[in-house]
Amino acid sequence: MIRLENVSKEYSADSPALIDANAEIEKGEFVFLVGASGSGKSTFIRLLNREEKPTTGKVYVAGKDIVGLSSWKVPFLRRNIGCIFQDYRLLPKRTVAENVAFALEVIGRPRHVIEQQVPAILDLVGLSEKSHRLPDELSGGEQQRVSIARAFVNRPLILLADEPTGNLDPDTAVGIMRLLDRINRTGTTVVMATHDRGIVDTMRRRVIELSDGKIIRDQSGGQYR
Amino acid sequence: MIAKTRFLLAETGQNIWRNLALTLASVLVAAVSLALFGASQLVASAVENATQRWEGGIEFVVFMKADAEQSQLDAIEVLLEGSPEVDEWNFVTKEETFQEFTEFFADDAQLLDTISVETMPPSFRIRPTDPDAGAVEALGSTFEAKPGVRTVVFATEVIREIQNNAEKISLVTLGTGALLIVASAIVILTTLSIAISSRRNEIEIMKLVGASNWFIRIPFMIEGMIQGIVGALLALPLLALARTYVIEDFSKSDNLRLLEGFQVSDGEFLFISLIVIAIGTAVATVGSIVAVSRYLDV
Repeated sequence: MIRLENVSKEYSADSPALIDANAEIEKGEFVFLVGASGSGKSTFIRLLNREEKPTTGKVYVAGKDIVGLSSWKVPFLRRNIGCIFQDYRLLPKRTVAENVAFALEVIGRPRHVIEQQVPAILDLVGLSEKSHRLPDELSGGEQQRVSIARAFVNRPLILLADEPTGNLDPDTAVGIMRLLDRINRTGTTVVMATHDRGIVDTMRRRVIELSDGKIIRDQSGGQYR
Repeated sequence: MIAKTRFLLAETGQNIWRNLALTLASVLVAAVSLALFGASQLVASAVENATQRWEGGIEFVVFMKADAEQSQLDAIEVLLEGSPEVDEWNFVTKEETFQEFTEFFADDAQLLDTISVETMPPSFRIRPTDPDAGAVEALGSTFEAKPGVRTVVFATEVIREIQNNAEKISLVTLGTGALLIVASAIVILTTLSIAISSRRNEIEIMKLVGASNWFIRIPFMIEGMIQGIVGALLALPLLALARTYVIEDFSKSDNLRLLEGFQVSDGEFLFISLIVIAIGTAVATVGSIVAVSRYLDV
């Protein structure tokens, strides 16, 4: 599903963000990216949805080389990749349901599809009761659920998560991880950058560890360490 | 497709509503600049209409009677040909005069009903060798008493002066209008850049979930186009006012009889209006394209 071949990324010449990274992630895998701040986790994720291009090397997603993808095709790549972030990135003036519907409206989905899929996905993330609330009326955990609903409503092949539990207390974080695990079980590949030792150690999934831009460990059923 | 269109129009509407003050300013600048530009064209047309027969150094015109005989015309022609004081001349037939007249008063059907080719006076337009006013007057008056001649009309200093001043007015308004049109493009550009930056969170999410580049650009482009086109449409009533209250009043003034014919026909007005709309649209298109390619990094 995802393959990195000798990928390096330099923002400036003296401090490379990623050095000669090689990795292959199969369809349906759940992968944790761990490492200190600045170790290259976010760069790894940003390379996968073409927010960044590598300085050298190849990135394949769903069998396609995405480095050479022309810019008008990038949106079609991104329709297959859902993204969630530490800061949720919800639109503050739109309700929960409108935030989720937005992701479908802007890719031109017809209204009857939106009317059917939005309630279904809100039900999946457990927010049916709050679909008419605004984001700032929700708790952090609930906001993250809205952002997961928005990322997953289009049924992407891949879900990229950059520190999704970074702003949440441990109990709430567990709830979010249960949801991501559920989504992973539907066959969606999940790549999640995290600092949360407890989560990694409990879930025992594949762990890719980065340090100063290098992959120093790639272990299935790994721990945070 | 319907869903897309509805969404894009709703987005555009929201953009304009959120940015209302700036959008209004942008529309007004476009309207005023286009109106000034249009007014300069109106004045230029009117001047041309009023002074058409005085172009190319023609200093006086000998109008014959409508029923002047061919022999009388021939006699004048011989005189002109033989005179060393006449540099050049040309003959304007009844038909040509009628043609000019109908073009000129195309919007005045009542007047046109009362005239025909037969009632039109043929004329000689004459360029003397010596353009000095005294010499012209002396030469012109020698034709006044000839058989078949109705009247001799001179291009006086006043006409020349009006011609020059009107040209200046037209140039100044054209220059100001052109500068303002550039300003208008910049205002549209700035309005759009502010609209874009006030929506950067939405734009970021649109990119993230895979909205196509055009889908992101189009609402801003429509917004820019609306500013230019609405500006142009507002400029048209301003132009109509300029035509009625300035130009037509000039031509009716008793003290300015020399300005007879200082007016703009409906056809010319329509043509200028279309140019104004075209320029408004073009300026808005350019402003929009520059704005989305500079500020919308898709």
